[in-house]
Amino acid sequence: MATTEEIAEAYADWRVRCNGNPRLAKMLRGWNRTVHLMTADDAGHFTIVVTDSVLSELRIGLVDQPDLVVSASSEDFADLFWGDLNPSEKYISGEIVLAGSSEDVMRLDAMSMVAFLDQ
Amino acid sequence: MADVDKTADVVVVGAGCSGLRAARDLAAAGLDVVVLEARDRVGGRVFTEVTEGGAVIDQGGQWIGPTQGHLQALADEFDVDTFPTYVAGANVEVRDGQRFEFTGLVPTSDPGAAADTVAALLELDLLAQEVSPTSPWTHPDAAALDARTLADWTMEAVDSPGARNLVSTAVLAVFGCEPVELSLLYALAYAHSGGSLSSLIRTTGGAQERRFAGGAQQLAIRLAEPLGDRVVLDAPVVAIADDSDSVIVTARRARPDGSRTDWTVRCARVVVAMPPAVQSRIAFDPPLPGARDQLAQHAPMGSVTKVHAVYDRPFWREDGLSGQLVADRGALRAVFDDSPEDGAHGVLLGFIAGHADRALEAVGPDGRRAVALDELARAFGPRAASPVEFVEQRWSAEPFTRGGPVACFGPGLLTSAGPALRAPVGRVHWAGTETAEAWTGYIDGALSSGTRAACEVIAAEGRGRP
Repeated sequence: MATTEEIAEAYADWRVRCNGNPRLAKMLRGWNRTVHLMTADDAGHFTIVVTDSVLSELRIGLVDQPDLVVSASSEDFADLFWGDLNPSEKYISGEIVLAGSSEDVMRLDAMSMVAFLDQ
Repeated sequence: MADVDKTADVVVVGAGCSGLRAARDLAAAGLDVVVLEARDRVGGRVFTEVTEGGAVIDQGGQWIGPTQGHLQALADEFDVDTFPTYVAGANVEVRDGQRFEFTGLVPTSDPGAAADTVAALLELDLLAQEVSPTSPWTHPDAAALDARTLADWTMEAVDSPGARNLVSTAVLAVFGCEPVELSLLYALAYAHSGGSLSSLIRTTGGAQERRFAGGAQQLAIRLAEPLGDRVVLDAPVVAIADDSDSVIVTARRARPDGSRTDWTVRCARVVVAMPPAVQSRIAFDPPLPGARDQLAQHAPMGSVTKVHAVYDRPFWREDGLSGQLVADRGALRAVFDDSPEDGAHGVLLGFIAGHADRALEAVGPDGRRAVALDELARAFGPRAASPVEFVEQRWSAEPFTRGGPVACFGPGLLTSAGPALRAPVGRVHWAGTETAEAWTGYIDGALSSGTRAACEVIAAEGRGRP
């Protein structure tokens, strides 16, 4: 199990990489969404806000109404943010679950995959 | 009135999955149905063969995926089991003649190309969500989307040549044609009809997720069984004459001595359940309206050959490989593990599609076998060069399909003639997976199109379901 601090540290690293990636800037243009992260093993809940292709800092707790909810183990969240885990494989296997409109799910799937590939 | 050989309420032309489904629904509504099939078998583009060595090979449509409810319901009804396509282990990518391994959907040897490919798939999936699968011509930008090919879009929207190649590989595997042959509007509508382009190209979670134990054709055979001798094989339909009171359908039926004779059926309505390109080889009287005939003229089939290499065991699994191959050029751009569920022997299935399929026509079966085995050996090692058996199914050479897996609509067709696709012409109704409103091009779409055409006929004939 990853701790809240470990997830926050990994996310901070991922956020820098995502926000500096021109492909992601293009893919996420005009996409403003609130994303809730729920850890299956109860390490904590988090909120990320995407505004004009820019990812916010990780907020602790579930803030506002989400457009998308991502459920996974705390370990998988940390590995995903460190770039050690192929997110599409985890979605397909059902270990990471995305809930939201099909368009939002597609975008999050693709953006996490590009962040993984493009590191 | 001219003498006819038989009378029926409805004639269905084509005993593929769509025609048989239509016939069954019509019979269930109390209508007397005759199905005329050109081949000596039912199933159309769904065709299972057993090799001399006993391997069960699906030469045509073979997969079932999530949301294909019509197909799943039929499999449930007939108690036909499905099992997951083998996906464990690493996939192989061949790029610029070099071999790499990867996991997941997109080959990763060139990370920039992979990221561009994911971005391109997302862009296409988002565009597809805006296009109605049933009436794509109603999109506000339909004319612009239909004025371009998928290749035009790729040249503009995808920067890296590697990603363009991967998009081409996906298109060849899905449509059996090159991106330059496809209207962007058609490709988007087609993708949306199955959910998204991503769902069409996925194995797990997508259109290639599961297979049928014993092959897919048994579903067609089981559909045909209760129809008995109302399914007439070896009877290619050559003419359909609609005199507005009734229709006379003429087939060139085989006689025991091998010669053929015209055989006619008078009926109230006809369901034509075959791809548009081969519909246009039937003589319609009166001639079809211009838009309907031009639609058929402009809707060529994809060009695809399915090759199966059978081995004594699925040796690639021992090397930690899934048997899936994605290649940026060559004959086999996409390969899957097609072994039986118990892995009693190994089978690799490859698609030769588009330009490669046409280019390899001249080299003949031995030439294609040599090319395919060479490419399989490059991907999966020298053992792949020596299969126990090798079979090919050249769909473009099949006289009653002339290609596959599906019709490939070029630019301008949907926005000019699209509404004619399903619209009945007099007493003639249209079925076939090309007319499906969901899962166009798939077995599931064939089934739902058959039901839709049957409903049209039942409504027109004023009969209800019993």
